[in-house]
Amino acid sequence: MNEQKYKKAFIESFNLPDTTEFEKLEYNTFEEWDSIGHMQLVAALETEFDIMMDMDDIIDFSTYEKGKEILKKYEVAF
Amino acid sequence: MLLQGKTAVITGCSRGIGKSTLEVFARNGCSVWACCRKPSEEFEAFILNLQNEYKVSIYPLYFDLADSEQVKKAAKEIFSSKQKIDILVNNAGVTPTNSLFLMTPLDSMKEIFNINFFSSMQLIQYIGRLMSKNRSGSIVNVASIAGLDGGPGQLEYTASKAALIGATKKLADEFADYQIRVNAVAPGVVETDMIGRMSEELLQESVSNNHMKRLGKAEEIANAILFLASDQSSFITGQILRVDGGC
Repeated sequence: MNEQKYKKAFIESFNLPDTTEFEKLEYNTFEEWDSIGHMQLVAALETEFDIMMDMDDIIDFSTYEKGKEILKKYEVAF
Repeated sequence: MLLQGKTAVITGCSRGIGKSTLEVFARNGCSVWACCRKPSEEFEAFILNLQNEYKVSIYPLYFDLADSEQVKKAAKEIFSSKQKIDILVNNAGVTPTNSLFLMTPLDSMKEIFNINFFSSMQLIQYIGRLMSKNRSGSIVNVASIAGLDGGPGQLEYTASKAALIGATKKLADEFADYQIRVNAVAPGVVETDMIGRMSEELLQESVSNNHMKRLGKAEEIANAILFLASDQSSFITGQILRVDGGC
């Protein structure tokens, strides 16, 4: 369930097709995931999971997989 | 009513410009997260009166801006309310004693910067994120003409307000992507508790140097903040509005 919500945040923030290889997504490796896109993603995740992320976590959030690790700190289970 | 149905966060609400801004915003239909350092019966009575008179919600929020953990906790409380935040007024600030630069300890400079600049930046990071989700908002920083013109003594105050002015201009550019406006007011010398730290000589000089030959009133600064916070200034961003009686 949370995996789907997590994926949805990426799809909507970066306008990605469902067929994307999400596990390979990395910050600043495609046009949409720039610094502005990053903050859109953070906003989407905060809304979706009802959390407020710390600044250090926003900065560390560098890949799709790393993001899941970070969200676990906010009691989001995958 | 210029702010009907809007919600604002204002720091330094217990006195002076912050207290006047709280009242002016309430009078204009705005609900407010009223931030100040510690509760008092007088302040609680003041906000109760505003709520009754203007039919708005005032949420007192007590924390120390010098403590970044407390700032974060306060931001989380605002965040948890799930309210749309339309306006942030970074008003709280401190003035040091009027000593010369060569007699100013580094720790004193850091302390003043921490409250006058870094705490405002931290709040903008949190509240700006909330605003960015709605792609709208107005941030008003309360700087000072000291940050524009300098002045005798108080290097750390002058420099911290100059930093706030620089940040205002920079953030206006960065936040424009989210339709968030960022402006500042630069008050001259205003009749508040803070002038108690000024010498009589300096006070007289400040009065004689402005065209209107008087001190400003807190409500006059609050009215300028109201303008920049409201949609009346919807195409204004990155500006520093002097409210100083002319010079």
